[in-house]
Formats: sequence, structure tokens, C-alpha cells
Amino acid sequence: MDGPHDIDQTARADDGDGLDPREAARLLAQTQREAQRQFNLSPAWLTAVMGAVILVAYGALWLSTRRQHPYQGPNLGVVALVYAAVAVAIAASVKVYRRATAGVAGPSVRQQQAEGVAILVSFVLGSPVLQGAMKHYGAGDAIVYGVIPAAAPLIIVGTTVLGIAASKADWPQCGAALAVVIAGVVAAFAGPSGAWLAAGIGLFIAMAGYAAADSSRHRRRSPQG
Amino acid sequence: MTADPLDPVIHVPARLRIVVTLAALPEGASLSFTRLQDVLDLTPGNLITHLRKLEDAGYLKTETTGNGRASRTSIALTRHGRAALDTYTAALRDLLGGL
Repeated sequence: MDGPHDIDQTARADDGDGLDPREAARLLAQTQREAQRQFNLSPAWLTAVMGAVILVAYGALWLSTRRQHPYQGPNLGVVALVYAAVAVAIAASVKVYRRATAGVAGPSVRQQQAEGVAILVSFVLGSPVLQGAMKHYGAGDAIVYGVIPAAAPLIIVGTTVLGIAASKADWPQCGAALAVVIAGVVAAFAGPSGAWLAAGIGLFIAMAGYAAADSSRHRRRSPQG
Repeated sequence: MTADPLDPVIHVPARLRIVVTLAALPEGASLSFTRLQDVLDLTPGNLITHLRKLEDAGYLKTETTGNGRASRTSIALTRHGRAALDTYTAALRDLLGGL
């Protein structure tokens, strides 16, 4: 944003006679980019960084379990690292959300909050409930601490986001959510250790792809193309 | 190059920036006066003048709630305003394509 320069320009060209179409297109594109930066709940850079953090965290889980025979689950240090990564990702998302919604009101904000609650509930409840049930019925560690926690969140949260995205006709988000569900399905059959690697790679591809598609979508809206 | 096909209400730097900024919000959402002023970096007087012109054209609606220091003014783009920006953008694209 050009700041005081824009204010001076506004005062001079109040009737718009001096505004060349090229200059108008440049100003429109610049304002769209700035507004996008201000109000976007999931900016491309954050999505891409979170994808990379998830890839590293899931990679660490895979590395800590790949030589286990029989499978016992990731060690506590790696689990702590993953929780720290999740905490940082949540803190960054909350900061971006607060900035994006400051001063914004209306039904869309309430809808976004409801969607956030639905995603959070599916993430917090989905996998632990399945793990508890599996443990209760005597399933082994490979299932309870390997396949289920790696694959189930992707399938459960992925289908939740898929439904939300489809209802809004948000096709880039729909594609990303479908990729997450597919990654979850692949992880479910990749073995207890391989499940972490499949889930990490799948999530990274889905999030990086969504960030690229979202950036491209916003560029296409500009009159300058 | 003539600017006739371009809506004169929007074809002013400050008003173009106001309309584009409000159009970035989901349909039906409103933005507080202070946040809009902060995003656009305009003086309150300048912003009020341009908001009035856009409101007179039916492109946006403003709503003030509360009294005194607790009052809050929110601004939202109308459907008419959103359609006007689409038309303006298409006209701009046509003009640039012909350059």
C-alpha cells in the first residue's frame, strides 16, 4: 500500500479524469492483492508452510517407527515434536483468523465459525474415538497407535472439509480435501509405519496444491490477468 | 483513449479502492469504518466523502449502531455495487485488450 501517496493522488484525481485505464487496472489489481492479504483466512504462504511442517512432523513419526518389529508406536520425543508443531500451526492460524476477521461482520463470519467448529470436532473426536474402540476390542498397537491415528484424521477431517467445500462450490478446496481423503485411504493400507509417511506426503501435496490453486485463482480475477 | 465506458462513480482512485476492498469480503458481509480506513490509509473526512458518493449511487450501504463513543459504523457493498464493479472490470479489460 502506498499510504500518503495514495491520499494525495485521490485528492488530485477526485473526478477520475486523470486516471488512465492502465493505471486504473494497476490500482485495481494492487487493491485486490492487498484486500486478499488483509481478509484471507488461509493465505497461500500459511497453507504452504503448514504443509511443510506437517511433512517434517509426519516424516519424523515415520523415521521413529520404520524399524520397529513388532510395531510399538512413535517415541515420546517425536510425539512431543508433533504436538509442538500442531500448537504452532494452531497459534499461527488463530492470529491470521483474528486479523482477517477484525471489523468484519455478517452471516458469512458466523458460517465460517460454524465450519471451524465442525472441523475441530471431527479432528478432536474422530480418531481418538476409533482408537479407543479398537483398543477396547483388543486390536494391536500397529492398528491403535499406527494405522488409525495416521489415516483416520485424514479421512474424517477430509470428508468434513469436502462437504463444506462442495456446499460452497469452492473447487480448489474440494480438490485439496479429496486429495487428503485419498491420502488417508492409501495410508490405511500402507502399514503402521508407512501410514505416517503416506499421510505426510499426501497432506503436503494437498496443501501445496491448494496454495498454488488459490494463488492462481486470485491472479485470474485481476483485469491485468 | 476515452474513459467513457468506465463507470465515473467507480473510476476515481479512492472509490475504486473502496469498492474493490469491500468486494473482497463474502457477499452480505460488512466492514467497520475504522478497519476500512485502516486498510485504505485514508483520512476520515476523505473516506466519508467518497462513501457518501458511493452510497448515493446505491453501490453500498452504511449502518450505524450505538451512540456516542460506542457507536460503530459498518459498510457493505450492495448487489448493485458488486455488479457495477464486475461491469467496470470487464470494461477495463476490454479497453486494455484494445490498447
